Amino acid sequence: MLWYKAWLETRWRFAFLVGSILLVWIAPLWLPSTGVTPGMIASRMWMALQLESVLISVLAAIYLAGAGINTQTMYSATSGFHGSMLFTLSLPVSRARLLVARAGLGALETCGLVVLMAGYMLFLKSGAVSALQAFDYMVRAVVCTMAVYALSVLLACVLDEMWQFTGACILWVGFFLLQSKVNLVSQISPLRGMSLNCYPLTAPMPWAPVAASAVLAGVLLYASVLVLRRKEF
Amino acid sequence: MNLRINFSSGVPIYQQLMEQIKHAVDTGAIRGGEQLPTIRKIAEELAMNPNTVARAYRELEREGFIEVRHGSGAYVGLPSTSSVKVAGIRKAAEVLRPAIERSLAIGLSESELRRVFEDELARLQENAAAARRRT
Amino acid sequence: MNEIIATNGLSKSYDGKPALIGLDLAVPRGSICGFLGRNGAGKTTTLKLLLGMLRRDAGTIRLFGEPVDSEASSIAARQRTAFVSEDKELYPFMTVDQTIRFTRPFFPAWRRDLEEKYLDLFQLPKKKLVPKLSKGMRTQLMLLLAMARGAELLMMDEPTSGLDPSLTEEVLQALADLAASDGTTIFFSSHQLAEVEQLCDRVCLIDRGQAVIAGVLDDLKAEYRRILLVFDAEPPRELAGLPGVDHLRRRGRTASLLAHVDVDAVVERAREFGPCSVEVRPVTLKELFLDHVRGE
Repeated sequence: MLWYKAWLETRWRFAFLVGSILLVWIAPLWLPSTGVTPGMIASRMWMALQLESVLISVLAAIYLAGAGINTQTMYSATSGFHGSMLFTLSLPVSRARLLVARAGLGALETCGLVVLMAGYMLFLKSGAVSALQAFDYMVRAVVCTMAVYALSVLLACVLDEMWQFTGACILWVGFFLLQSKVNLVSQISPLRGMSLNCYPLTAPMPWAPVAASAVLAGVLLYASVLVLRRKEF
Repeated sequence: MNLRINFSSGVPIYQQLMEQIKHAVDTGAIRGGEQLPTIRKIAEELAMNPNTVARAYRELEREGFIEVRHGSGAYVGLPSTSSVKVAGIRKAAEVLRPAIERSLAIGLSESELRRVFEDELARLQENAAAARRRT
Repeated sequence: MNEIIATNGLSKSYDGKPALIGLDLAVPRGSICGFLGRNGAGKTTTLKLLLGMLRRDAGTIRLFGEPVDSEASSIAARQRTAFVSEDKELYPFMTVDQTIRFTRPFFPAWRRDLEEKYLDLFQLPKKKLVPKLSKGMRTQLMLLLAMARGAELLMMDEPTSGLDPSLTEEVLQALADLAASDGTTIFFSSHQLAEVEQLCDRVCLIDRGQAVIAGVLDDLKAEYRRILLVFDAEPPRELAGLPGVDHLRRRGRTASLLAHVDVDAVVERAREFGPCSVEVRPVTLKELFLDHVRGE
């Protein structure tokens, strides 16, 4: 039932993100097309899709992780936590289980969006890409996004909802700037790992960022469980 | 039965409940041989502690005022002259005791006290007779 | 195992400020215990500690006779417990129906018959979203969730706060009925002394992080008496020092003593100070409360 609750909590956010994705897909229909050739549309479309995939992945990772760990709680300095969190915590469930259900469903939703976007792009390039390359792309898109997701989950355990979103955005923008300055960071960056701009479809699997992302995701999720277990409400 | 308890009063709640039940019998709201509501029913209706209701029932049973039949419930005892008299006498003693103590405390002697009692009794009977003559 | 809740020396501080300083609490099975105290005295902290929402700094907690000192033991206790928080918040994205269906699977001992009964009795609209419900209905829904799960212990934080008198009476009646039918132990904090006197057989008064009075309410009312003494001049302060006197208040030529246990002895000793008049009166819960939390 915890998964059902997580679904009820996140379904509108999920719908919003699906809507955003589709909006970009049908952009050629509603953007002005005077003075452009079909070739230009296609290439702009492709650039847009690449950008979209990274942006939406990150957005989804932040947005879908946000609602829920501290869900529907208001934190006030004087009275502490109140809201439905107290109801949840009074149930005979471990904190770990609470996190797994909520973060788990958010992860499934995020991966679903990543797969949707990646699938569409692979479909557009279906002639030019082998099955293995397609698979590689799917895997790295998912794993790198999960690294972003895991950080969002940890932030959600530590900060309240409003700050989690803002904090995650600031962090990733900062990271984006950092990766262009520090070589090591750019080698293992999840943002670059999921991007087709940095690693095109036909390039070999970029193991460094993918491995780093996988490790990061695991560590951050474990840390989230530990933080949630120790938290006082 | 119309039960009314003052939960803030100094009188223990179970005693108030006992009084109220006895009063209900006096007024005929519930008659000898009839079944009393269950402990649960009274607790729920008055939103009061069931243990307190149980205690009242226990005390009433001990006094012989009610009879608890296993499996079927509590019943008001049939009025036999002796048990009503006994209860009445006990009640009168409870009412008079503090009055007697106070009177003796302010310095009345026993014979003075007896005279006061008889005077008061006579006055009450005279008032009652006068009231009857007026109606 | 007779005590459903038992704490010993329970202590908790927030940022160095102590909230509970060695609280000893004992609530026997089947009792309805009122938990009283001023705002900020530590009532909500205690409830949260019992439920594992906060970690204790010192002391022990036993629920259902078992020590609660790990997440696993806390979960085992919560399986048999129900909690109704003060603000009665539930999930804003669920309807009444969804909330019930969500809660049910956590409790194998769920009583469908009670669920139906209270849905009907409280007239709760199944398809209505929780935030659209009034506070009264939310309280009733939370009571339903608490009672249908077959809990042996029901803990509540200000159960009737914000409710009108008729809803208040309904809630109290439901609690009385629950205690009478299932022998559920009920432990609740409240500011409504009248309700506590009505429903509780036991009380515990907490002030500044410690229990100052605890016991069977009838016994407490029988043990305590107010002794009013009128003097010709200012009443002597030594009255406060008499054994058995919990509290002394002097106003003009009158001294008001709160005496405990051997009241006759206290009256004897008080007479030695030569008052013009002596009067002994019973004590209400309100007086017990105010005298113990204010002090001279």
